[in-house]
Amino acid sequence: MNDPLQTGALVSKDSPRQRFVLEETGFDEVPVKYRRFYRRWQGPGDSLAPNEVLCPVCKVVIRSTRELRPGDRVYCMPCMSRLVVAVGAEGRLEARVAY
Amino acid sequence: MENRVSPTPSEPHDLAPEVFLDEVHSFEFWFQAVEGYLSTSPYGRKPELADSDLDESEREALVTTLCNYAIGETAALDASSGLIRIAPNRRAKIFLATQVVDEARHLEVLLHRLRELGVVELEAEVQRRANHSLLSFRNRLLQFVDGRDWEAAVFAQNVILESMEFAVFQAHAERADPITRQVLSGIIKDERRHLGFGENELGRRLHETPHIRNRLQAVKNDLDALVLGTFEDTLEQLRVARSQRPELGRRYLASVERLGFGL
Repeated sequence: MNDPLQTGALVSKDSPRQRFVLEETGFDEVPVKYRRFYRRWQGPGDSLAPNEVLCPVCKVVIRSTRELRPGDRVYCMPCMSRLVVAVGAEGRLEARVAY
Repeated sequence: MENRVSPTPSEPHDLAPEVFLDEVHSFEFWFQAVEGYLSTSPYGRKPELADSDLDESEREALVTTLCNYAIGETAALDASSGLIRIAPNRRAKIFLATQVVDEARHLEVLLHRLRELGVVELEAEVQRRANHSLLSFRNRLLQFVDGRDWEAAVFAQNVILESMEFAVFQAHAERADPITRQVLSGIIKDERRHLGFGENELGRRLHETPHIRNRLQAVKNDLDALVLGTFEDTLEQLRVARSQRPELGRRYLASVERLGFGL
């Protein structure tokens, strides 16, 4: 959420993906080299940046250095889930478990 | 599979699926993960944290709740250690070995907390305060393990029991005294791995062998009343308002529903 390059602007699927610099978030449930790729979900007042999706299994926010788009694969290391990014019922990006 | 080393990617999401699975099921991953939140917390809490004053009814309720958590963790310790022998592959065996360590730690920190609360005869107190639905659930779980029924045992332990604990521990941590909250927070971090393992393992199995679905639905139907009984008693002890209980129930049921099991 505090990424210097974050803009939050929506872009079309043909435009280049935004890039993000990930900073440490205090998340401590995975090895050090992976920690900046995850953060805690702060509840109803929280919101997701274009490079973030919420893990439906363990409710940790998964982060990427790239803007996420439907069809992208992401991993939730805290709960060991493989996920695919999709557009949810409310038009927002969400992650679905890929067993 | 055999010669892979721990990867150092620029982005973990770029790992090949098999490399990802090897990585997150490894003892090395577990060790570096728990180091982040346990290395400075003996018995799951910061030593400098002061205990709060609980009145007698609050202490009684907390002791009963923690005694039943200890029963659940003991059941998971017994079951996950037994599951190692029947695990279908090396990844699952290694992961379950880490789960055994987690469950043993949970039991230890809960018993330590009970001692801090003044409980002297731990074993007797745990037995005296045991929830009968939880004891029945434990017996069913261990029957699945003893019967070498991998799918039913993983479903009962890593999906149903872990999801129930995840929901209850989160609710409890939100309203607990500072020490109990910190102990529970560490346990919740471990539970993410356990319930994720269960959901993903069974999700893959259901995808590959759909005929097991009916049998697992029957297992769920068999355990539902025991889960409900345990859940209700625990939320009562925690004094969770009735208006909040449906939301906790939904949190618990979410993983079961993602696997395609209905009420």
